[in-house]
Order: sequence, then structure tokens, then C-alpha cells
Amino acid sequence: MLAMRAGNIMMKSGAEIYRVEDTIERICKSCGIEYVNVFATPTGIFVSTDNDEASNTVTYIKRIRSSETDLTKISRVNQFSRTFTTSDMTVEEGDKILDDIENSKPYPFLVRALSAAMVTGCFSVIFGGGAMDFCVAVIVGLMCYLISRFLEKYEINFFIRGFCCCAFAAFCSLLAAASISGVSYAPVISGCIMLFVPGIPITNSIRDFLSGNMLSGVARLTEACIISVSLAAGAGVIIKLWYMLGGITL
Amino acid sequence: MMHLFTQFLLALFATLGFAVIFRVPARHIPACVVVGALGWITYLLTDYSLGSPVMGCFFGACMVGLCSIIAARLFKEAMTIFVIPGILCLVPGAKIFYTMEAFLRSDIEDMAEVGIQTLMMAGAIAMGLLVMGAIIKVFWALVHKTVSIKDKL
Repeated sequence: MLAMRAGNIMMKSGAEIYRVEDTIERICKSCGIEYVNVFATPTGIFVSTDNDEASNTVTYIKRIRSSETDLTKISRVNQFSRTFTTSDMTVEEGDKILDDIENSKPYPFLVRALSAAMVTGCFSVIFGGGAMDFCVAVIVGLMCYLISRFLEKYEINFFIRGFCCCAFAAFCSLLAAASISGVSYAPVISGCIMLFVPGIPITNSIRDFLSGNMLSGVARLTEACIISVSLAAGAGVIIKLWYMLGGITL
Repeated sequence: MMHLFTQFLLALFATLGFAVIFRVPARHIPACVVVGALGWITYLLTDYSLGSPVMGCFFGACMVGLCSIIAARLFKEAMTIFVIPGILCLVPGAKIFYTMEAFLRSDIEDMAEVGIQTLMMAGAIAMGLLVMGAIIKVFWALVHKTVSIKDKL
């Protein structure tokens, strides 16, 4: 069903619950279905439709797995729902457009990796690093992003991914701090943590709470907490090990 | 002043990076980047003048919220596109690190202090976005009401 697919794409790309429910409802209404009830959570969407009699109720359930933030998809589905409801587009045409949206590619890999490097570099300077810290952070950030992508390919969950990436970042920056003079590890590690910080769950959970979707608000808040803990733990384990081996004094 | 300018540039580029990673539509990237940088500058200024990073986060989040609402209205887009990359600069990533470091030093007092500050900053970001959302809702309700009253008159 068309509305379901639209909702699915939106939820996967990291939209708020309110927007997903609203989109599905609008699309169904514009198809002439009078009675629509939508219940969406970050892991599944339930839609129940009814034409005229109570015996005609049809329910769809869509389980949502794996998500990758893609704001372009949200924006395009948003516009699609607007044009779909205002014009008399057929369901087949709509399906084709959604296919197109779903298969659209993100920015080239190299560009994304370089921008990840830029993020870590800039944040290491913001957190009090110098020019040398910037250079180290750029390299470490680039490698961290590559590792994160690599682990994602093997469908390793976000908790372990955050842990591994931060552990690696901590190791690299401690190594750099030990071998190159003028590099301190704290700003470099903080910069790398910023790359994986759970900004989207935090923002979305607040907006879910605001629109009265308590369940997904709590779910996303918990996700944010778990991610932060995994990041801190990853960096912490390596620093502690380094300290126990006598590399640095805390 | 020079310091503020460099910070502005750094926040600009950091937000640009996030915008590319989260794949903001190319035509909205400039607006997005400015939203993020303005949020960070607001944070810095409040932090300097009030001496409290928590208040800084609050006003920074308010600024991001306000700017993204304006941008969303201007470009007729979902507000999420501007909020997500913009707010990321304010998330206390460094504080998470220092909390953990204090924990490793088994300095519980320090850890509690920095940890609570981290939580409060996250809460302040939430509050900022929330307050901005509420204000905008009331504002539009009032605008619609005055318009309808005018029509009646």
C-alpha cells in the first residue's frame, strides 16, 4: 500500500512520529478512505483502514528495521504527499515516484568521509585544540568514519559500532599524543565523539514528546542515553588500558 | 572578537560536515549551516555573559529553533532538516568525555559535577526547542485569531 511505503521511507530516514502519521493519514484520505487510524513507533507502523462497515476493516503492519538518517528523503516524501493530495495522481504513478525516492543515493562516499573528517577537525579546535590537534583529528575522524561504515555493512548494531569507533579514536589519538609533540589527546577524542553523538534521537524524542507520542519519545531518549554511554565506554576502556600500561598519567 | 569569528567559522564548517553526512538537500545546505553557526555563537555569547553553559545551551537551542522555523517557512520545507544539523554543535560531546575521564580517575565528586552538567545541558537543549515550539504555536494561533477578527470587522 502506497501510504505505508511513504511512511516506511520517512521513518527509516529519521522523521518524527507526528510527521509520519500525518503523511499516512493524508494520503489515505486523499484516496477516499474515510476512516484511517495510524499508530507509528520507531520500530513499526500500524495502519487500520475502514471503508464503510465495521466488517471491512483492513489492518497493515510494517516492521521497520535499520535506519539511516537521510533528510533529503524526508523532504522529498513530504513534498510528494503534498502533491499527491492536491493533484489527482494515480496510485501507480505515486508508487513510481516513491521507488525513485527510495533508491536515491546519498552524497558520494568520498565527500561524506571528508566531511566527517572536517567535523572532527573543527570540533577538536572548538574544544581547545591547536593546529596540530586539527591535523590529527582530521586523520582520526576519517578513519573512524571508514570503520563505522565498514561495521555497518556487516549489520553490527549501533551500540557496538559506537563503542568500537570511539575505542579506535581514543587509541589513535593517544598514539599520536605519545609520538608527536604538541598533540594532546583530549580535544581529539572529544572531536571524534562529536561525530557519533546522538543528536537525532535527542531532537526527535523531544519533538515526539511535544506532539504527545510518549512511547516513541521514551524509546528515542533511551536510545540517545545508550549511545552516549557506549561512546564514553569505548573511549574510557582504551584510556584506562593505556594508563595501566603506563603510557599516560590521568 | 577575532576569537568569536574563528569560532563562527569553525561551527560553520562543522555544521556543513553534518549536513553532508545527513544528506540535507543541496539547495538548503547554506541555510542549514548558518542556523548551526548562529546557534553556536549564541551559546558562546550567553556562556561568556552569564557564565553558565547550561543557559548557553538553552539560548543556543532557542536560536536554532527560531532560525529553523523561519527557514522552514521561507523554503516551505520540514523543520527537521534545519534543526538536526544545527543542534548537533550544541550537544555536549566534550562533557561526555570529561565525565568519563573523571570516572577513570575515580574522582567521584568531579564526575558527579561534570556529569550533572552534561545532563543539564542536554535537558536545556530539549527545553530550548520545546519553548520555541510552544511560542511559535501560540504566536500562529494569535495571528490566525487576529486575522479572523479583522475579517469579521
